[in-house]
Amino acid sequence: MDLTPADRDELAGMLRAATADGRVLDIRGGGLHSRRGRPFAADDLIHVGGLDRVVDYVPEDMTITVEGGVTVGEVLRLAGERGQGWPQAPSQPGATVGGVLAAAAGGRRRLRFGPVRDSLLEVVVATGDGRIVKGGGRTVKSVTGYDLPRLLTGSLGTLGVIVQATLRLWPLPMAERWFAAHGASDDMLALAGDLLGRLHRPTAVIAGPGSLHVCLTGVPDDVVAPAGMHDADEPTGVGTHAAAPGGGVVEAGVPPAALPDLARRLAADGRGYEAWMGTGICRVAVSAPEDVHAVRDLAMLHHGHAQVIDGDDALRTDPFGPVPAGADIMRRIRASFDPAGILCPGRFAAAEAVPA
Amino acid sequence: MTTTAGALADRLRHLLGPDRLLEGDLARNLYSHDGSIVGGDCGMVALPETTEEVAACMRMAHEAGVDVVPRGSGTGLTGGAVPLEGGLVISLARMRAMGEVDIANSCMWVQPGVLNLDVSMAIAHLGLHYAPDPSSQQACSIGGNVGTNAGGPHCLAYGVTVQHVLGVEMVRPDGEVVVLGGEAPDPPGYDLRGVVVGAEGTVGVVTRVLLRLTPLPPDVRTMLLDFLSVSDASAVVQAIIAAGVIPAALEMMDRNMTLAVEEFVHAGLPTDAAALLLVEVDGTPAEVQVFTEVVERVAREHGVRTVRVAQDEEERALLWKARKTAFGAVARVKPSYYLHDCVVPRTRLVEIMEAIGEITARENVMCLNVFHAGDGNLHPIIALDRSDPDETERAMRAGDQIVRACVAMGGTLSGEHGIGVEKRDYMPLVFDHDDLEAQACVRRAFDPDGRMNPDKVLPTGTRCGEVGLADTQVPEGTWI
Repeated sequence: MDLTPADRDELAGMLRAATADGRVLDIRGGGLHSRRGRPFAADDLIHVGGLDRVVDYVPEDMTITVEGGVTVGEVLRLAGERGQGWPQAPSQPGATVGGVLAAAAGGRRRLRFGPVRDSLLEVVVATGDGRIVKGGGRTVKSVTGYDLPRLLTGSLGTLGVIVQATLRLWPLPMAERWFAAHGASDDMLALAGDLLGRLHRPTAVIAGPGSLHVCLTGVPDDVVAPAGMHDADEPTGVGTHAAAPGGGVVEAGVPPAALPDLARRLAADGRGYEAWMGTGICRVAVSAPEDVHAVRDLAMLHHGHAQVIDGDDALRTDPFGPVPAGADIMRRIRASFDPAGILCPGRFAAAEAVPA
Repeated sequence: MTTTAGALADRLRHLLGPDRLLEGDLARNLYSHDGSIVGGDCGMVALPETTEEVAACMRMAHEAGVDVVPRGSGTGLTGGAVPLEGGLVISLARMRAMGEVDIANSCMWVQPGVLNLDVSMAIAHLGLHYAPDPSSQQACSIGGNVGTNAGGPHCLAYGVTVQHVLGVEMVRPDGEVVVLGGEAPDPPGYDLRGVVVGAEGTVGVVTRVLLRLTPLPPDVRTMLLDFLSVSDASAVVQAIIAAGVIPAALEMMDRNMTLAVEEFVHAGLPTDAAALLLVEVDGTPAEVQVFTEVVERVAREHGVRTVRVAQDEEERALLWKARKTAFGAVARVKPSYYLHDCVVPRTRLVEIMEAIGEITARENVMCLNVFHAGDGNLHPIIALDRSDPDETERAMRAGDQIVRACVAMGGTLSGEHGIGVEKRDYMPLVFDHDDLEAQACVRRAFDPDGRMNPDKVLPTGTRCGEVGLADTQVPEGTWI
């Protein structure tokens, strides 16, 4: 059944009822980051689109407080009117703030601006049993209590439904441009290494098979095409691949210095990828469960990991690989936020069975 | 000492030797305090030197059911490292080894006892630095910085400690060693690393820290602006940022503070000014040029009296010395001080500065202000003589009113010092019962027996409650 709460109180009531009845829930924002984790059977689907209010925007403080169903596009539009932006956001205007945060799905400007969890100052969440819990604070700096905002970011809906978020905004740069070059993959990786060593805080350096995209941000005098590069748009990357039947995307995380080697091996295997040079993140196009394991094996060679961030059910039988350290702590945290285990159960699947 | 504690002491003495288990009155008294005015009761102090020794200490404390309080340099200002009811203090001060710098990945593992400033000194020749720079950086340790999620002037542009800690090795309350986070970004599952940073030693003992190292900026310019009114200076803080410039640092000092510092450092500060702003911009030469012009223009629009630009590295260092020795300079005024580090939205700076002035005047206490104006993080320092009970009482009252004023303006309790004991009972001002209970549950998930740095951070009586009892029921084949 589709549930469409109009506000947080209605949502909390639905969660309390589901907890009492043991009904399993899935949560849906813009639907752009929903194909993550192991598939599970939900009794009801909660749409958060009704939680679409802009609660407070104080341009002078560079903070905006919005409900979880507000879209990235709306935040960027409002902020843009005041010369501000949310540079950690992904380039998907239809994604909701709640969805982006739940999936920790940051954008390509991470090299300069950091991961999306760094932009979340305060979060309000409706727990599995319908409590409304706030963590963090709306000021740009706060060490008041345990860091629930970081805990919620990337929790994939298993701790609660994000009903409200306060984001730190940044001034729009005086200039920003994307540049591209094309050539042999090896040459592109060499160029990327050269630029990372030479440029002060580039915004993005994205290597793909036979291409390199660079984003520069700052004052106009600094935002000029590096030698051998020309003006371009932000790359579309491997995201479109997941839209094709049977297609999916794996995100590998390796130490940044290992990324050129990982990319070379992916290129040699003929895979589509976008390597976020300098950050250690590499998104790879996959089409079959074997591909997921092949990419993960490469990442683990470099002491990294790989998770499926988009794809059909068939690609998500083992979406995360080995169980991470501290899993028992995570289980206890989850049990306290969602005591009946109704929120997206089974999403964090293990490669091997967990000992009881 | 109880029999349990006595038996634990015997085992720890056997493990560490008599020199590294402190049990005498002098040591126990010393370790009952930190940089705050909180006093406690210390049972004994262990001085381990390796992760394995910390793990062994923790196993023994676990078996004995004894509380553990981790401690770095003890410079904290909220009583976070003060043991309240006996128990074992584990000092990490002897764990001062730095690993090799991983230049390719811009990171380095260090032990928690390494001093903050020593990190940047050790890597400066590589063109790198460790960005968080608390004023106490010559004395405070990385482990303590992790505990409090410490800040510093340059966190305005570079972010606080949690943004510079890629991973931690932690000994859990039962003695198990776990590594959370690492060089590879975004490992699967919840961001436990992000919770450990800032947990004030209530979830385990951090024994190694993977620090993110940041390239030194190619160019930097440091400016000292002086104003005849605090309101003008506060307005400039807002206006600089509204103009689209996030300076590397944006610090304010009021007249009382300037007088104390100038007498101490002789930096040529204008002691007749009502407020000074120390503004640093960094980046490429082109960025620095543009940002400097914006800062100067905005300052002139708001009645700045003079703009002093540091002409060389020596002058820059002198201006920073004036800022960073401010707390120490208070000793020239009064023997002790009491402060809060609450935060207000930047837009409320003018109002809160006026409120602080009124409160401290009403309570007849001397207040010196030096703080991170760019992020609204106040440090109203109330100078006092603690042998004067009346003055101490008035200082406490003023501090209390300042905290309440900050919260009333949409602010929060702490920007970088943490909650500790001192602000623990203010937590209900910003969080309701359900919020606090959820935090208690997160803490309990790490420390089911509640032996890690008890009675810190959360107000007395906050419990995880009935929720979270069925703690290991997960669907087959899943880990959360």
